[in-house]
Amino acid sequence: MFLTRSEYDRGVNTFSPEGRLFQVEYAIEAIKLGSTTVGVSTTEGVVLGVEKRVQSPLLESSSIEKIMEIDKHLGCAMSGLIADARTMIDHARVTSQNHAFTYDERIKVESVTQAVCDLALRFGESVHDEEAMMSRPFGVALLIAGVDEKGPQLFHTDPSGTFVRYDAKAVGSGSEAAQSELQDKWHKQMTLKEANILTLRVLKQVMEEKLDHHNVQLAQVTADKGFEILDEVRLKALIDDM
Amino acid sequence: MSIMEYNGGSVIAMVGKNCVAIASDLRLGVQSLGIASNFQKIFPVTDRIFVGLPGLATDVTTLHEQFRYRVNMYTIKEEREIEPETFAALVSSTLYERRFGPYFIEPVIAGMQRTPSGSYKPFIAATDLIGCLNFAKDFVVAGTASDKLFGVAEGLWEEDLGPEDLFETISQTMLNAVDRDTNSGWGVVVHLLTKDKVITRTLKGRMD
Amino acid sequence: MPDGSYAHPQQRQFNPYTENGGTILAIAGADFTVIAGDTRQSEGYSIQTRYAPKVFRLTDRAVLAVNGFAADGNMFVKKVKQRLEWYRHAHAKDMPLRAIARLIQTMLYAQRFFPYYVYNILGGIEEDGSGAVYSFDPVGSYEREACRAAGAAQSLVQPFLDNQIYFKNQQLPPGQTRPLHLSLSDVLSIVIDSFTSATERHIEVGDGLEIYVVLAKGRGPQGLEAVRGAQELTTNAEGDRVFIVRRELKKD
Repeated sequence: MFLTRSEYDRGVNTFSPEGRLFQVEYAIEAIKLGSTTVGVSTTEGVVLGVEKRVQSPLLESSSIEKIMEIDKHLGCAMSGLIADARTMIDHARVTSQNHAFTYDERIKVESVTQAVCDLALRFGESVHDEEAMMSRPFGVALLIAGVDEKGPQLFHTDPSGTFVRYDAKAVGSGSEAAQSELQDKWHKQMTLKEANILTLRVLKQVMEEKLDHHNVQLAQVTADKGFEILDEVRLKALIDDM
Repeated sequence: MSIMEYNGGSVIAMVGKNCVAIASDLRLGVQSLGIASNFQKIFPVTDRIFVGLPGLATDVTTLHEQFRYRVNMYTIKEEREIEPETFAALVSSTLYERRFGPYFIEPVIAGMQRTPSGSYKPFIAATDLIGCLNFAKDFVVAGTASDKLFGVAEGLWEEDLGPEDLFETISQTMLNAVDRDTNSGWGVVVHLLTKDKVITRTLKGRMD
Repeated sequence: MPDGSYAHPQQRQFNPYTENGGTILAIAGADFTVIAGDTRQSEGYSIQTRYAPKVFRLTDRAVLAVNGFAADGNMFVKKVKQRLEWYRHAHAKDMPLRAIARLIQTMLYAQRFFPYYVYNILGGIEEDGSGAVYSFDPVGSYEREACRAAGAAQSLVQPFLDNQIYFKNQQLPPGQTRPLHLSLSDVLSIVIDSFTSATERHIEVGDGLEIYVVLAKGRGPQGLEAVRGAQELTTNAEGDRVFIVRRELKKD
């Protein structure tokens, strides 16, 4: 008789008889609890947008950091366990700096994504007699945006270490509605401004609170200016244009 | 530290068609410290012979005096001007006298040699510091930039250069060689000998 | 000790380095680069072989010349090629020239306290299509230049190049201007002259000459088709192209 799922979801390195790794699947589930995060790619650059859930009026919303810089030409938005993302972004930053040090060039977006995904599968790995460095899969999905010699690109990574390139992608709690909206509205000739507004509109649709400059954050990566988080003034202007 | 490189300096001589040229830098230094930029290392021996004395500066002066003395004695005894080939032999024997306590100089000789028919043919020679003669048909070099001089001269020199072309060739060789030598430079002087005249030109070079 | 006993302290030493002579040289043009080296390998006054290549094609746009201690040189080239292969696998493209230059610096500096006893000259085509030469010291200090000679006859060749490539100490008559870049045929003549001169005056230089020519993508053969025995080594005809020209040098 097959054993029940509950007995195969203990060890992170153990496949179930149906060939599944439950801990990884649970980790993917964990992301669906995270706040909605959107990425939109255009020929002019890539836009990242996140919802910042402000649970208490006493919470300082500017201290919520869900979009981070990896390098001058690389940015990252996240959904899920934000603390886990720190480890991954740290790794991405080191990889990117190392590449620049060794090769005197900017690392490609795909290469840095690959490096992060290599790390994602390192859970439960241990050398003889030593504790494993990571005990469980990362509970976070990343949207990695960047510009390299191949132009602006957007990648999505999940806890299984899989990565895929997208023109536009939504992750997190509102991702299903958001993704279908993106599918409707995204088009090839989109300008950066249109992408910014699309990102905001998609976020607005799935957010419970009324969208304002306190509960969303936007960032973009362009060829000339690289990664930049939009400041309050620019964000407000975009919200007004929505 | 080699005594040959203590004061720095380089000399080159080249053969042309019915002419010969000799050039040197003008630097006097003490290792890396520059002392003077007007230090002559080439001296007239007769109207048709020049000798260049690169090496230890104190020996430049001493040997110059020694050669002047011996050439004068030769002129008086023989009652004729010394020929370049004979002078080369004199240089060689003077240096070999000090076989085991040599002057630290590697002389370069350039002159117009009188032939039995009464015409003149170009003559160059160089010796090491104990007087081993080298009669070359093309060019001879000595001093701290000798390897550089060899390289450039081998690339630029051709047979049967006329006086002005020879001047250009030796000047370019000297300037470009000493620019790559820390112990030579600070200006260049060129002497161009033909059967009936000597042209001396001082060249402006890098002063670093 | 003369008595053969071990009563006195003894000292033994192993010298891990040898100098194997030879000379290398590279010159960059507007849209091409020439990288050359002789093929004699010597130890002291003995010639070990008359054909030991010192210049290697790394990619269709990069050629590396290595001079100094031959064992270190060969191993170094092997390791660079290995790193280029890894890079191809990781990033799905050939490493650009300036990236190879930086990689060579890090590889050399990694051996800072037991260096590869080699002088490297890297030549090829940059991403912008310009010809480039990078020269290195044994521990990785490097610089992009228009021309460079290294090795046994560096002191003979470099001042000649200063004169013929950079036109040092040459003044033009007023009103006249010099072409900004030399043509490929002029550069090839200067390279061959440099090596025949070095062969004439340096005992460690001679036997054979290997000249690599890298042409920028989409640029014509620039007279290379007229050069005797020019052989193409390019793997992908769409990009930059590599050629080799061989010449004999005196063997005495």
